[in-house]
Amino acid sequence: MIELLAITDDPSPLRSPLRLVPAGEVGVVVAPADEGEADAEALWRRESLLEDLMRERALLPIRYGTRVEDDAAAAAAVAPRAGELAAALERVRGAVEVSVRAVAAGDPEPGPGAPEAVHERLAAAARENALHAGPELLRAAYLVDDAEVDGFVAAVRALQHEHPELSILCTGPWPPYSFAEAPER
Amino acid sequence: MSAIAEREVALVDLLDRLLGGGVVIAGEITLAVADVDLVHVSLRALVSSVETARPK
Repeated sequence: MIELLAITDDPSPLRSPLRLVPAGEVGVVVAPADEGEADAEALWRRESLLEDLMRERALLPIRYGTRVEDDAAAAAAVAPRAGELAAALERVRGAVEVSVRAVAAGDPEPGPGAPEAVHERLAAAARENALHAGPELLRAAYLVDDAEVDGFVAAVRALQHEHPELSILCTGPWPPYSFAEAPER
Repeated sequence: MSAIAEREVALVDLLDRLLGGGVVIAGEITLAVADVDLVHVSLRALVSSVETARPK
């Protein structure tokens, strides 16, 4: 079995254990599938392969755990969507994903508008954004141009300073997991 | 925030993305994560790390 890791349109070869399988106008980045269960260390190793790759080419991560029998099956699974995936690559090219969560810091309780105000400011600094449901006051992903990442992080710091009633948790840059599929219409 | 707390927060974000993000391609989906409770454990760690990450 092989695991499907990412979609790319850069045909240059990959370093072991990654391989590129052509599928129409795009390619699938594959690796031998791990047997057994993945622990946190294994997930981070997988993630760092993708992060190294995202520094050198545009990519769309594939949902974790997607496996097929062989290269032919990988090409067959991706080729029917190749056109759509090529368009999705244009959407994320030159940008990375940044994750932001906001939770109540404790005392005083955050006002009702605080998470929205944070989101509004960050959305203005991003190419796109995606709000997710969760237990936090704000759980969001922002697609940020490579050149704007430092400015985005500075905006997060400024917002944390302005909103001591919130704890703002920011991680990244991530491959564009939250922007790999077209938004639902 | 301590390095350990930061890593817990990042693990929550990684798991979110691995399990809920990315392109959905037809194939066998194998979610072989060692501890199914990992997500919940980490969310608890997130909450407690936030408690300790209050501004001084």
